[in-house]
Amino acid sequence: MSKYEVNEMYDAHAEGELHLPSLLTHLGERSLYDAVSQCSRCGYCETVCPTYMLTGREPISARGRNQLVRMTMEGKARGAASESLDTCLLCGACSEACFAKVPTADIVLEGRRAALGPAPRLIPVLLSRLMLDRPGLFGFLLKLGALARRTGLPRLAGKLGFFRMLGLGPLEKAELEAPSMPLTFLSEKLAADPELSAGTDDEPRAWAYFAPCGPNYLFTGVGEATVALLKRFLGRGVFFHNSCCGLLAYNYGDIRHARDFARRNIEKYEALRERLGGVKIVGDCSSCTAFMKTYEQLFTAEPEWRPRAAAFAAAVRDAIEAIPPSAMTHAPKETLAEAGRITYHDSCRACHGQGIRTEPREALKTLAGKRFTELPESDWCCGGAGAYSFTQPEMSDKILRRKTANIASVRADTVAVGATSCLLQINAGLKRDYPSARAVHYTQLVEKLTRPVAELRAPTAGNAALIRPPAK
Amino acid sequence: MFRKDRLGGTLEGLKRIAGEDNVFTGEADILAYSYDAGSARARPDAVVRVDAADKVAPLVKLLYGAGVPFLPRLAGTNLSGGTIPLKGGVILNLSSLNKIRSIDTAAGVAVVEPGVVNLKLQEELAKAGFFYPPDPASQKVCTIGGNIGENAGGPLCLKYGVTADNVLGLTVVTPQGETLEISTDDPGPDLPGLFTGSEGTLGIAIYARLRILPLPKNIITAVCSFASVDDAMKAVAATIASGIVPRALEAMDRVSLDAAGGGGLELSDRTGAVLIIELDGNSRRDLEKEMAEIRAFAAAAGSLDFRETADNAEREVLWAARKGAYPALARLAPNVMVEDGAVPRPKLPRAAAEVRRILSDYKLTAGLLFHAGDGNLHPNVIYDERDIEETRRVRKAGHEILRACIDLGGTISGEHGVGVEKRLAMNWLYDRAELELFSRVKEALDPKDLANPDKIIPVSDRHARRKDAAPAARSAAASALITELKYRAAHGIKSRVKGLGTRLASPGGEAAGRDLDVSGLKSVVEIYGDNLTATFEAGIPLRTLRSELKAVGLEVPMPKLDGTLGGLIATKAWAGIRDLLLGLELALPDGTVCRLGGKSVKNVAGYDLTRLLCGSLGAYGVILSATIRLCPAGTGRHSPQSVPGALRPAGKSPRFPHAESRATGFVPSDIHRRLKKAFDPENLLNPWIYG
Repeated sequence: MSKYEVNEMYDAHAEGELHLPSLLTHLGERSLYDAVSQCSRCGYCETVCPTYMLTGREPISARGRNQLVRMTMEGKARGAASESLDTCLLCGACSEACFAKVPTADIVLEGRRAALGPAPRLIPVLLSRLMLDRPGLFGFLLKLGALARRTGLPRLAGKLGFFRMLGLGPLEKAELEAPSMPLTFLSEKLAADPELSAGTDDEPRAWAYFAPCGPNYLFTGVGEATVALLKRFLGRGVFFHNSCCGLLAYNYGDIRHARDFARRNIEKYEALRERLGGVKIVGDCSSCTAFMKTYEQLFTAEPEWRPRAAAFAAAVRDAIEAIPPSAMTHAPKETLAEAGRITYHDSCRACHGQGIRTEPREALKTLAGKRFTELPESDWCCGGAGAYSFTQPEMSDKILRRKTANIASVRADTVAVGATSCLLQINAGLKRDYPSARAVHYTQLVEKLTRPVAELRAPTAGNAALIRPPAK
Repeated sequence: MFRKDRLGGTLEGLKRIAGEDNVFTGEADILAYSYDAGSARARPDAVVRVDAADKVAPLVKLLYGAGVPFLPRLAGTNLSGGTIPLKGGVILNLSSLNKIRSIDTAAGVAVVEPGVVNLKLQEELAKAGFFYPPDPASQKVCTIGGNIGENAGGPLCLKYGVTADNVLGLTVVTPQGETLEISTDDPGPDLPGLFTGSEGTLGIAIYARLRILPLPKNIITAVCSFASVDDAMKAVAATIASGIVPRALEAMDRVSLDAAGGGGLELSDRTGAVLIIELDGNSRRDLEKEMAEIRAFAAAAGSLDFRETADNAEREVLWAARKGAYPALARLAPNVMVEDGAVPRPKLPRAAAEVRRILSDYKLTAGLLFHAGDGNLHPNVIYDERDIEETRRVRKAGHEILRACIDLGGTISGEHGVGVEKRLAMNWLYDRAELELFSRVKEALDPKDLANPDKIIPVSDRHARRKDAAPAARSAAASALITELKYRAAHGIKSRVKGLGTRLASPGGEAAGRDLDVSGLKSVVEIYGDNLTATFEAGIPLRTLRSELKAVGLEVPMPKLDGTLGGLIATKAWAGIRDLLLGLELALPDGTVCRLGGKSVKNVAGYDLTRLLCGSLGAYGVILSATIRLCPAGTGRHSPQSVPGALRPAGKSPRFPHAESRATGFVPSDIHRRLKKAFDPENLLNPWIYG
């Protein structure tokens, strides 16, 4: 596509399917080389790049990453880019600051794929294979891990590298911070909810709940809260019975697996649309919804799938944007007292990835009034960034400390977030640095704050996930 | 050659001083510090991250001793290749020195480290109700250190001056690793003026004392569209000539507007240019009155519409459009070359037309942005650097644009600096005499040529412009003086520069040399009313100067002083003179004449020797003539902020009528002495001062 000759990576690109054939940028469809050459080195992205601001080092700044990928493609930097690529949070703050919207995160991922060549990292590949081919076995293994923890064997599980073996290293670190891991997955619970079944009536539904892996396997309470909210404010809906969105494979593993996940979800969506009309696909992890909004980019070389992916992407909504702020009213005193001082952390893939900033703020301001306070540098990454806290523990921790310091600076008690990775990461940080505060998923908080007063005193099983843990 | 050798064995020393973790020699770092926002490229041999200001001096000392080239680097946003290590060596990455040391609102001073991001400083100052005037378009990322290195400007500098006008003092590490504390209040030659804009070639600032100002109580902004750039410039000219000094007066042409998405403005098909006018002050009523006047000027110039922004939000949209114009052009093509010429203000329409012609000759697309109030224009030429043929055309067009600015009496850089990309053009702007003087100044401070080598001063005169056949017209008195200087230099006769004898008294006798009477230099060279500048010979009594100006409805915004103009400059009797002075014609002791600065109100081409000469006490050279800023009669007094210099307290620098020079308290420092050698190696002028 580019009129310019480049070497190296383009050999890899000849293998096509291991890469993105082209990038869908703000300026149109571009080859990787054209996309990266759009960086004019003006440097306007530098002050929003967390890794640059913490280190002051150009090679691990957004501009540096683009330049190093470009130089690699031009044959001027063989092998020099690995640190730059590995340290990128993929937060996308740079692209938002960039007037040409150079898609640094996608460029970095392409760079990583090229560096890995045809043999991507083993663990994530195995993991996604497992999830694709043997979802039952995957679930069984996870539950085994959870059982091991419950029975007082967390250290043993840790020692045996159980989670790491599954490619879920962050869980190992998060063991003590995360709510107890569920033995019943969210998907199993939702499948049992008759209200969420498409049934036989084929009536149009407003929404289909997509259960991202975080809520599904780890934070089932988040998913339950989201579903309760969607029912409360958007009317009838269904459960999507989805596969993983494929982000894990896209970021860390084999992009072909990401396409497989995407195809499954697209097919499922088309079947739903056939029966129920144009439903919105609502997910409650911003990383996943942001990724699903870019499904088309996976299939630019597949004419049959491309429009289908685009149609799917157009139907995706993040839960934090789907719940209408206009429907909110001031929350009851009891619940507000429990939540304390509320603030909002912009999960990267919500604000930078999808441009969602106003809806959650508006809703929280209406609900909490003066108890809502803005978080300084709210759109700075928390360092969670998927598996980043596992692959780059030191950098991740520095970034996290900045986040917890900001939370402490406004004396917040409850930090609402939009992605489950942030939930894990920020709670881990708060427990260490500022234990009086706690991060909760946005939908959990809003669900609690919008719960009818009558229900408050008699929590149902589904609503048992409280904002604060009972005092010990 | 092996890299280890190129570092002259300093690697271990660098690690010892900077810390093991702060010295980078890996390929990724070398590559990432081989570029900046310009298009030049060169690889450093090592990058050292400096995490404490007091480490700079020992690092520099080590490198200088070992003969390793070095340069400071911050955000790397400069557009002239200033941070490219042309001879390799070490990049001192100062971006971690990002502390604001103090903000003293009572004294109006902020002390900062070089890595503080301009906008970050603004945000902190705003909390205290203050601001720091220079506001380059890249302020979101560019740093104070970089601003000082390049003498950065921005829209607000029309009213409040460029960086050099707002730097009160610096702590500088010289190329040889000594630490100097310098201030504009120091007696003697103005060193902060010399260091600001020296692009890291004369030293590294590790602390800066900056002038800060209270935020104005009221700001009103208007936007006005015209069918052509020419029309817009007519409105600008009328505004400037009226004595109203807007806080900003910015123009954008249609291409820039389209790139920036119209800037939230409704543009008609006829719109060819837009002018943004912003006034600030304490009395809203006064501002509204002034804005009404400007509206009338705009109407007379044929404005299509004129709208005052209703609220702050609208104003911010407008400014986002202006400041985003360059990056928005970056959407249209991968690369943008930002040219940075400056011309006398009335020549701006001509310059714009010339630029348009050149661009069309070379078949290039560019948005034109103007700091219209001070004659600074930025053609933003879009291209793809991967297209070698196109890139060549861009370079050539850039050079022609600079030549056009020079031909119009302007300069090659208003605020971006010379760096490496405009080095060649220095040959066209200056004669050999000036370039050699610049070289001697550089050599005085950096004898081994290690601090950011090969920047600013052309490395070859192969492309030098042929000198004008006829030398500039000079008065008989000036010619006679030059002849006399040549004669005295040939015979080793020392001179005692004497004007009206108002300020600088000297010891009598042989040591003081023979009198050199400059009081004959009293003609008016040019009063350039439309540009609000005038050039006078240096011996003109200030009293005469005032009456000459008054006769044409103009004045100099400064206190009523006696003595001569040259005497005022040489003694800094009023410190504000440094900010009013735009250009000098200087006779060196051997009779060589150097023309420094010029008539454009913004000029960062070459070392700012014009400022350095303020307070030089006649010992560096004989000032033949000087170009100064003016304002319409009656406005200088009424709006003391209208000219940057007028904000300086008049009482700070000592007045010393009829006193011995020692009484000025000036004791030359080592740096002063070295500079003296660059100007007057045989100590022929006012010899007792450096005796």
